[in-house]
Amino acid sequence: MALTARTRTLLRLTAFQGSWNYERMQGIGMAWASLPLLEPLEAADPVRHREAVARAAHFFNANPFLAGAAVGAAAREELAGAPGERIERLRTALCGPLGALGDQLFWLGTVPALAAAGLIAAALGAGWWAAVGVVVAHTIFRARVGSWALGLGLAEGTAVGTAIQASWLPRGVEWSGRLAAVLVGMVIPVAAWWLLGSAPGSRRWLAVALALVLYRLSRRVRGRLSAPEFTLIALALVFLWHWSTT
Amino acid sequence: MTGLDPVGLGALVVWGAIVGLDLASWPQLMLSRPLVAGSIAGLLVGDIAAGLAVGGVLELFALDVLPIGATQYPDFGVAALTGVVLAAGRPVPAMLGMATGLALVIAILSGPLIERVRRANARAASGAAAALAEGNAHVVSALHLGGLRRDLIRSIVLSLVAVVAGLALRPLGLPPGRLALPLLLVAVAGALAAAIRGAVRSSSQGGRFAWVAAGFAAGVLVLLWR
Repeated sequence: MALTARTRTLLRLTAFQGSWNYERMQGIGMAWASLPLLEPLEAADPVRHREAVARAAHFFNANPFLAGAAVGAAAREELAGAPGERIERLRTALCGPLGALGDQLFWLGTVPALAAAGLIAAALGAGWWAAVGVVVAHTIFRARVGSWALGLGLAEGTAVGTAIQASWLPRGVEWSGRLAAVLVGMVIPVAAWWLLGSAPGSRRWLAVALALVLYRLSRRVRGRLSAPEFTLIALALVFLWHWSTT
Repeated sequence: MTGLDPVGLGALVVWGAIVGLDLASWPQLMLSRPLVAGSIAGLLVGDIAAGLAVGGVLELFALDVLPIGATQYPDFGVAALTGVVLAAGRPVPAMLGMATGLALVIAILSGPLIERVRRANARAASGAAAALAEGNAHVVSALHLGGLRRDLIRSIVLSLVAVVAGLALRPLGLPPGRLALPLLLVAVAGALAAAIRGAVRSSSQGGRFAWVAAGFAAGVLVLLWR
């Protein structure tokens, strides 16, 4: 059974950043995802089709999980024969809101929330099912949001920005951020006790105190050293201390 | 008994390739989160506890990473593989510090590799600028699939390096007890410091400090209850 153009675009949206680069960022990924939706133009108006593909491949940068809204809206306008400049303006206008809302919903919301929840579950004995739960929950949420965003773009066209603002998304961003804040706060003591389970009680407190010192130091050198680099230096100092005393 | 035989190691490299590709290219299902990558790697080599612990420490580091736009970020998922190979079949508390250290080296090395792939994608797009301006759909597909192929190659290379590095250091054996505990404390402290940075960033978004504090208190309560 042949997949519909919408389903093929949804599948292609899962690889939206496959050709990410510093010139067009996600532009080529956007064009690739748009191709199934633009197919009706290929036979009806080949010139318009080529113009539409060229426009779709221009610079674009947004959150990949919400990018379907821009793909759908631009494709709808292309099929409706809207002026090229208007479609360019629509794409440009959508980069900011889709980037900001999507990054807050996913990268500052559901992704750290699920990662922290997985860590807490693992610490409480869920084993590798914690990892399975993280992947399943993210996949279901991401698929639903991706499908919703593409459908909204296709339905609303140039009005997609207004439709997003009036949707559940702004409230979803707020609540996913709160959920992430609670779970990331919760994971710190739980993970500390889990990972230091074999250390004597006083040493656990030493590690927590050391973490606070490292956190303060890492704030001072922010921009020059990342947390992994900082930790590697500390581990190297432990090795040096060991070798110098044996 | 671990699965560090050719079949197990081969499966680990295949898993690493999937994990690396998942980071940004396809399908972004959180397979590249270190907790997930480490757990499955542990399952593949027959030591889930090692996989969970190594993945757990690296997950705390990953909570401080915002993979947005052009930022360069480490591939903690593939890096987890090296720690799992090093720690598999051995007492986790004794190996966790060293395994974390080696995984962090791989994670740091992975950043520039991602950068190289992105620059190669940019060169390919520049070379095809005329065809893109003409709206050639075949060129669009070729460029996109080429980008995916480059990231897959990066992931395979990084996975091989991660697995070989873990195997190369295994003959060193367990660190002496006097060294193992300080390494564990420093590794976990560094990871917690990164997670605290992530929590502070969460709390700075829309004044959510109270939510972070409530979560911390809930975490302490959970520990007391247990």
